[in-house]
Formats: sequence, structure tokens, C-alpha cells
Amino acid sequence: MAAAPAVKFLNPNAEVSRRGLALHANINAAGGLEDILRSNLGPRGTMKLLVSGSGELKLTKDGAVLLHNMEIIHPTAKIIARAATAQDDECGDGTTSVVLLVGEVLRQAERPLVDGTHPRHLVDGIELARTELIRNFLPGVQTVVDRDDREQLWRVVRCALNTKLSDELVIAHLTDLVSDAALTVHRNGEPLDLFMVEIMAMESRTVMHSSLVRGLVLDHGARHPDMPKDLQNAYVLTCNVSLEYEKSELGGGFFYSSAEQREKLALAERDAVAHQVEKILRLKRQVCDESGSNAGFVVVNQKGISPDALDMLAREGIMALRRAKRRNMERLVLACGGTAVNSLDDLNPAVLGRATRVFEETLGEDKFTFVEAASTARSCTLVLRGPDKHTLQQLKDAVRDGLHTAKHFLEDACLVPGAGAFECAAYQHLQEYAKQVHGRARLGVKVFADALLIIPKTLAENSGLDAQETILQMIEAHERGRMVGLDVHAGELIEPMGQGIVDCCRPKRHAISLATTITTQLLLVDELLKAGRDTRTK
Amino acid sequence: MSRVTEPTPTQVRDTLMPADQGRDVARASAAVDTALIFASADRRPSGTVVSVEVTEVPQVTFFDPMFSFARPGASGLLKEGSQHYYGVQEAVLKNIEACKLLASIVRSSFGPNGNNKLICNRLDKLFITSDAATIVRELEVVHPAARMAVAASQAQERDLGDGTGLVIVLAGELLNQAGELLHQGLHPSEIVKGFKRSCEEALRILQLPDMEVGRVRDLRDLTTVADALRTCLASKHQGAEVLLAKLVAQACIEVLPSYFDGSTVNDLPLVEYADDEETRDRLRRFNIDNVRVVKVLGGSLFESTIVRGTVLVRDTEGTVKHIEKAKVALFTNDIDMSPMETKGTVLLHSGKELESYTKTEEHLLGERIRKLAETGVNVVVTGGKFGEVALHYLEMNGIMAVRCPSKYDLRRVARATGAVALSSLTDTPLTMDELGICDEVSVQEQGSTKMIVFRQDSDATRIVTILLRGATQNLLDDIERAIDDAVHAFKVLACRDPRLVAGAGATETELASRLDDFADHASGLEQYAMKRFAEALKIVPRTLAENSGQNTTDVITRLYAAHRQGNMYAGIDIEMDYASQTETSSLLGILDAKACGISDLLATKYCAIKQAVDVACTILMVDALIMSKPASGAGGGGGGGRP
Repeated sequence: MAAAPAVKFLNPNAEVSRRGLALHANINAAGGLEDILRSNLGPRGTMKLLVSGSGELKLTKDGAVLLHNMEIIHPTAKIIARAATAQDDECGDGTTSVVLLVGEVLRQAERPLVDGTHPRHLVDGIELARTELIRNFLPGVQTVVDRDDREQLWRVVRCALNTKLSDELVIAHLTDLVSDAALTVHRNGEPLDLFMVEIMAMESRTVMHSSLVRGLVLDHGARHPDMPKDLQNAYVLTCNVSLEYEKSELGGGFFYSSAEQREKLALAERDAVAHQVEKILRLKRQVCDESGSNAGFVVVNQKGISPDALDMLAREGIMALRRAKRRNMERLVLACGGTAVNSLDDLNPAVLGRATRVFEETLGEDKFTFVEAASTARSCTLVLRGPDKHTLQQLKDAVRDGLHTAKHFLEDACLVPGAGAFECAAYQHLQEYAKQVHGRARLGVKVFADALLIIPKTLAENSGLDAQETILQMIEAHERGRMVGLDVHAGELIEPMGQGIVDCCRPKRHAISLATTITTQLLLVDELLKAGRDTRTK
Repeated sequence: MSRVTEPTPTQVRDTLMPADQGRDVARASAAVDTALIFASADRRPSGTVVSVEVTEVPQVTFFDPMFSFARPGASGLLKEGSQHYYGVQEAVLKNIEACKLLASIVRSSFGPNGNNKLICNRLDKLFITSDAATIVRELEVVHPAARMAVAASQAQERDLGDGTGLVIVLAGELLNQAGELLHQGLHPSEIVKGFKRSCEEALRILQLPDMEVGRVRDLRDLTTVADALRTCLASKHQGAEVLLAKLVAQACIEVLPSYFDGSTVNDLPLVEYADDEETRDRLRRFNIDNVRVVKVLGGSLFESTIVRGTVLVRDTEGTVKHIEKAKVALFTNDIDMSPMETKGTVLLHSGKELESYTKTEEHLLGERIRKLAETGVNVVVTGGKFGEVALHYLEMNGIMAVRCPSKYDLRRVARATGAVALSSLTDTPLTMDELGICDEVSVQEQGSTKMIVFRQDSDATRIVTILLRGATQNLLDDIERAIDDAVHAFKVLACRDPRLVAGAGATETELASRLDDFADHASGLEQYAMKRFAEALKIVPRTLAENSGQNTTDVITRLYAAHRQGNMYAGIDIEMDYASQTETSSLLGILDAKACGISDLLATKYCAIKQAVDVACTILMVDALIMSKPASGAGGGGGGGRP
């Protein structure tokens, strides 16, 4: 190597690489990450099995999940991984595409760089390309559809799930559930709050037994063996009141001199709680006797309920759940109506919600309480079932992405063709656009255009097709003005819009701008410093 | 035709368990019928796989070698100590290898003639069993792919209670066949496609009416039920299956709620094991916990009996040992002075005060127990403890005092007697609804074990206890597991599907034969996989034949030929006595499973095949294995292995 870099004088332990070396390090890291994620893309992508430090298994083909769990240490790879995770947080999908795109842009940029092009010129071109795509290309290619069209929603969600799961039947079933869940919580004109969809995973039966509960599923059961386990048409009291003896804040003590006194004190302790419970019982009698029917009564309490209090409630035929989660209290009210009360002093029937059915399900040692509300419910629970933990984890991740996609659809209702057609069209568009760009920036535009082809190329590769041939066919078709994509199962060219292979617009737009931001940053790095070494390693 | 070769002990150990955990695996020779597997005493959370070699990633030369972070490929990107394997050679085939090894362990325990395994787990508890679910659970498998197979078998155990061995053996064989196809250059996704198609077809054929050899129409008919459960028990405990089947059948019929009377499950075949309201309802109504097993060491299995009601293995606290027409009061807390949340101090000024305080306290308790006796209570059961004083007063009133520390047992007593569990003894008098009634509560002695029997003659209670007698604890444990499986099987018959298919490998062979034809009509590359699927199903009769010491290849050939000739219930005769046969006939070693009454539950078989195919496909679809550095901590680096 040439003379030691300046930083060596400042800190002899620092690691440094400069100019070409730094750029190479970046390009290699991005390429490495791209290679890892490549095989996951698309419906025919394979899966990766991750084993965590504690031995837990995770089976995934979701880029975001992979990047989260891989323990990356390479600084450049870390930057890309983080940015891709940002894509996941924002859009819930498209992480793999971002990583592939970044890797490929850098790889394509290598050639002009070796030829002596200054990174700055490339960066200018890449930025021009991005602006062009977002400003002029996207509006032309996207289709705005009717957001109330359930059929369209179903298609979009299916496409999203298709890339995460492999079994056709499972995908169709989950698509139904996810679409219904999104529609349940959706209110026109308001942004969709995905927190109102609870995802509950249960280790039982098969994936096909997963279901959507309009209402809530709580992961615990009634705390008394004599409580009813199945109630029809029940009143639901949601409260946050302690029904057990609370020690006073003051450190007081009691002195007594006979057993009667002691007994009295014990009794008084119990009375305090009993008094509270009595209020609930009164309300129950009021509403249940009034209606004259055999309506049930359920108490869901965020705080504790003492055994004695449980006993009192059980005798009255009330199902009581204690220590419910805070977020569930909120959802319960949305699902069943009524209001959550913080004090039992002025209870009236108006605070009660209604549920069509409340029942308990036992799975081994675990109990679950299903609260099924009327059709007006604004909160729902996706009950995912699967034979084992890793299947459930995979389902959870997929459903999360599906819900995000549904959210985009319900908010934007803006679709672009999938199956690689979008990228191919963008390539075509940029090729034309490059002709209008003067100077060396044109190289950058071309680099970006070429890089976009990585998506259809990888789709073809993962389907076991000849990537080059497929790409050439696709480009030719696009040149003739046909918007075609790739059928990954048959290996033929298809019209994705007609076949219902559609993506939401938002993740694509995000992916493009995110990929440009990262690549331009990485290209402009001319020095890589790692100040000091970890003293423990040597 | 391919054969699974027996792996060497080292292979088994190295692939499934890290070598440095100090496990010793001794493979049984032909003479010894038990394989020994020691799980080491210490356990480390680990994700290490020993047999997989890390391929060295070449260093790149144009970098300063001091750059630890500048190597290309995944190895430079990830944290040190993590391992990663990509592609068919590195990941897929190694995963297949691991699952095959797991299957080979389970295989020798498969079927009625399967050998037992002696497993010594890390708590030094001994298991002697041929139950696949127990074997794989206690093996503590660490290889990720093999663990997925274990998880599949556990799911089967949870939902159907039986067929766990079938899941692992079949999954192992499917992967074995897939491995050969991979060597030929097929893409995993083609294999998965073929397997899935074959699986669908197999499940369809399985439900055809001609596969059915019978169904349990009357759930109260002892002979029918016992016959149906016999095969399930025979695979766990050959020899005692007739006796056990009768015991279990009797117990299950006793606890069967009247809801099931007259209503056989849908006469229409259940196509999918649907989650409809009716099935869920049925499943809720039959609680397998209502059949209890109490194990009493000593005697022989033939002395096992059934007791209506509950049995607690312990003695009463006081001297009252026998009460007829008992009235039972049930408490969850201690029978003593009332407990309090707040701490109090008794303020005493003199010895006299102390004396009077103790007296008032005792008097209060005495008064309460007297009141209790007045209501007619003569048995008190508590989940807590009896105070000394309380016990004294109970004795005085002639009340039997029973402690019952397990809350599950307490609930069972409550159910058996109809008593309501109260929290503690208070001044409020007990009402009649809160009291339980029992025909006889008595302390009995079996061997030297004392137990309290709550006998209930009326039909109202639906709780039955099987009193198992046996020579060793291990035997009893194993029989208990077998009984649990059988009770589960009864539940499946009652709630899900009453249909039975032929056992003895007949169903699998028939499926193989039909799927072979089905594969002939498939176009595309998946045909190879479909042919292999049919081949893989033959692992079941092959294993049965192998485990009973027959000339496997010959028997399988004859069996397959028999099926080809339309003898669709032909299965392996595991009790075949070669000495008595003088000449080789075309049916040597083969029996008619339908005629011999060897039958399996359709639901169990259906789900097992499904689980096995699912897990095999999942493992095939994994193209990379990324393992983080095992967290240190518990186990402390495995320094303390077996000396």
C-alpha cells in the first residue's frame, strides 16, 4: 500500500479504506446481501431457516424478517438492512425488492466507475431517473380503482400473501380472512388503524382452521371452575377496578387482643371487596331480570379479582376475566360497544356492551376466551392456527404484510401491474428518457434502468427459467407496447392486470425512492473508517 | 427400490445432537431389543450442527487483510460465530440427512413388534418406551430441520393422540426419496409440487368407501369399541392389548355423556376435519381427563381394575377411614383460622391474656366445625392444609379429613361428588347445593399403597379411574401413555370420525398401488416425485416386516403383488411363524387385515399423512440455514459433560 493514510497518525488502531477500496467494499457488501435475499423473491422463491441464539426456529421468505434476524455486522450491509426495514415499517412489503435494487444499482455502477466516471455524475443520473419515474412514469402506469370493490382488494391481498406463503389453499383462505378483517375495521374517509386487528396465534389443528372473529379473543379464561363457559347473547361489563383487597399506602398496623377481633378484621377485609362486587351483581340482576331472557353477563376487568369475589360472581352465573391487557380493553369497547368504567359507583345499563356469544376454548394448559360481537363491531381478531410455532410465526408475518397491503388499497386504491411488468415498463421508460438527458448523467440513468431489471430477472431465475431469454422476450413485448409480466408457474408471458396480479402503488414508489437514496449515499462514500478496535477481540 | 440403511451410532449422535454434549448412543444389536440413548445431564441451548462442515470462504486479495468486515458474501456480513449454509448441497441435503436419521431411530420402535428404547433424560429419569412421541420429546433434538419433524409429530400427538411414529417415519422416507431426486437434478419446487398432488390424491382415496373396513356405530357397545382400540394399544403394548382395550373401552363408555347416545357422528363421511360448530361442540363434550389412570406398583397387569369415581393416592389425615353415604364439603384453602391480607399483631399484656386469646381462637374454630357437622357433612376435603386444632375438632365430630394438594385432583373430586369448592371455612352455614354426595369414601390398600376411593354408584358422575397394577414404575408409565393414546383415539371416534381403515400396512400398500397408477397419468417433471411418493408409503409395511424379523424384500414384493391382484386388505403378518411353513407360498407372511380385525382410525391416518407431507415439503423448500451464535449462559459452555 501507499503511504499510510492520515487517520493512522491520529489513531494507529483505526481501520481505514479509501476511494476505490471503500467503494468496492460497499459494492461487495450490497452484492452479498442481494445474493442472500435473491432466492426469496416472488411466489416461487424458497425459504430460509433461521435459528436464533436460543435455538428458536424461524422459517421465512420475508426479506424484512430475515434482515431483522440475521445479526448483520458489516457497516454497509447494516445501512442497507436498516433502510429496507424502514420500507417494511412504512409499507409492510417490498423489502426484498429494495435490497435487490440497491445491490443491483451498485453492481451496475461498478463498470462506469472502473472506466473512470466520477461517482457524482452517476449519482446525478440516478436522481434524475428517480424523479422522472415518480413524476412522469408512475402516474401513467397506475390505475385508480374503486376502493369498495372487494374483488380488487381480494386480489391485491392474495398477491401479497402469495409471495410469503406457498400453499394455494392456505393463501386463498388467509386472503379471505385478511380482506374481511381490513373491511371490518375500515371506516370510509378515516385512515385504517391496523391495531384494531388483533392477531392471536394458537398451536392447534391446521392452518385451514384459522378464522376471523368479529370481536375479541383474550388469551386467558375465566378464573373460576364453576363459571359458565359458554354464554349466548351476553352483556359485557368492561372495567378497570380492583376487586381484591388493596393494602393501604400507609404502613399501618392493627392490634387486637381476642380472636373475635381478629376475625372481625378478616371479615371487614372481605366486606370491602364484597361491597364492590355487590354493585356488579345488582346491575346484573337489573339488566338480566329486566330482559327476562337468559342473557349472560361477562365481566372483563383490567385489574385483579380476589378468589372470594370470583366465588360471588360465579354463584350468580357471571363469567369474569381478570387482568386483561390494556389494549384489549380498548378493543373490547370498540367491538361490543358500551364504555369502560373506572369506578363501580354509578353503574347503569348504558355502560354495558353486548356480545352475541362468549365462550372459552381450552388448548392443553392454555385457555382462550372468544367474545363474538355483533356485525357492527369495529375491532376484530384473526385467530391463526397452525400445528407448530414456526408455522404460526410464518403466518403471523404474512398476515401482517397482507393487512398492510389491504390498508394501502383502502386508503389509496391505486394499483400497478405486478409480475415484473412494472419494472420492465419502467426500464423501457427510462431508456427513452435517457435520450433526452445530456452529459454524463445519462450514464446514471442507464445504470438505474438496467438495475430495475433485476426484479423480473430474479423472478425468472427462481422459477427455474432462463433469465436472459425471459428478460429479452419481456423487453421485446414491452417495446411493442404490451404491458406483460411473467407467469412464474408456466414460464410464459402474461398480462398481469388481466390475470389479477397487481401490487399497490405505494410500496413501489417507496422502494424506488428509498433505493435511490441509499445508493447515492453509498456511491458518494470515499473513505471507510472504523475507529479503534474492539479490545476484546485481540 | 430403495432401502433405508441403518446409520451408524456416531452418525445419529453427531447429526441430531452436538457431540460435545456428551451423549452416548448405543445401538442395540440383534440380540438386545433395547437401544440406549443417554441425554446428557447438562443442557446447553444450542443451534450447532456438528456433521455439517463449514465451507471456507476464500479471502479476497485486493483488500487489506486486516479488514475483518470487508469480505464479500454472507460470511463477512454476519456476526462472528454464526453459521450459514446455502443451496441444495449445503442446506437441503443436510437437512434431509438429519430427518432420515431421526426417522431411523423411531423406525425400529414402530408397530407392535417395534423395540423399546431406554432413554435416560437429563433429569436422570428413565423411560422405557416405544412411543414415538415420548422418544422424540426426550431426545431433545437440536438440528433445526429434525426439530421441524419433531414439531409435526407433536402437533399430531396433540390433536389425535396417536400416529406420531407414522408422521416421523413417513416424513423421513419422503425426504429420503426426495434426496435421490435432488441428486438426479430435480428442482425442490418440482418435488414439492409432485408430493402435494400425490398427497391430495392419497387423502381422497383414503376416504373412498371401499377403503373402509368398518365403523363404530354404537359407541356404547363394548366389543365394537374394544376391537377398534385394540390395534392402537397393540402398537404400544403387544400382548396385553386385549385386556387393555377392554379396560379402556369400559372406562370410556362409562364417562361418555348421554349426548352421544343414538347419534353416531354424521353418517356422511367428514371430508375435511372441519371446524364446524357441531364438531367443536362434540369435542367439548368429551373430556379425556374424565378417564384417570392411577398406577399402583405391584401385582400384575391382569389385576388392573376400574373404579367409578375418583381415586387419590394418599391416606386421610385423621383416623376416620371409611364412610358410606358421605356428604362432602370441599375447600380450596386451609382449614384453620381465617387468613388475612393485612399483617396484624396480637397485643397481649399478660399470660392470662395469651391463654384467653388462644382459647377464643380455638373455640371459634371448634364452633365452626361443629356447625359443619350439624349440616351432615362427614367428609372434608381441602386443597390446603389442616390446622392441628382443626383436625382435632374434625376427629371429635367423626369427620373424615382429606388433603388434596393438586388443584386438578380437587376439581375432579368436585366433579365426582358434585360439591362446590368453597374458598374457606366461614361462619356462613353451608347450603345443600354446596355439599357433594358420594356413595362411599374409603381408604383402601393395594400392595402397600394407600388410596382414598370416592366411589360413586349412580350414573350421574362421569368420572372413571383405571387402577393399573404392574411390576415396575417404567412399565406402568408406559402403559399409562398407551392408555392415554387409546382414550384419545376413542375421543376421535366419538367426536370426529367413526370410520376405520385396514391396519397392518394394508392401507399404505393399497394407497401406494393406486398412487403409482395415478402418477402414470401425470405429465411434467412432478411425475418422478409422485412415483417416489407411492414408493415412500411402502415404508410402513416394510418397517413392520423388518421389525418382526421377516425377509423384508420378499414379503414386500408378495404384499404388493397381492394388492395388485385386488386383495386390497392384505397386510403384514407380524406373528408369522416361519418354522411351521414348509414351502413358500405366494401369501407367506401376509394376512387379510380386515378378516383379522386389524384396523386403524381413519382420522389418525389422514392427519398423519398430511402432517408428514407438510413437514417434508417445508423442509424441501428451505434453501438456506442461518444460525446465530448460540447464546451462552445456561449450561455455561458445556464444560461439565459426562465424564
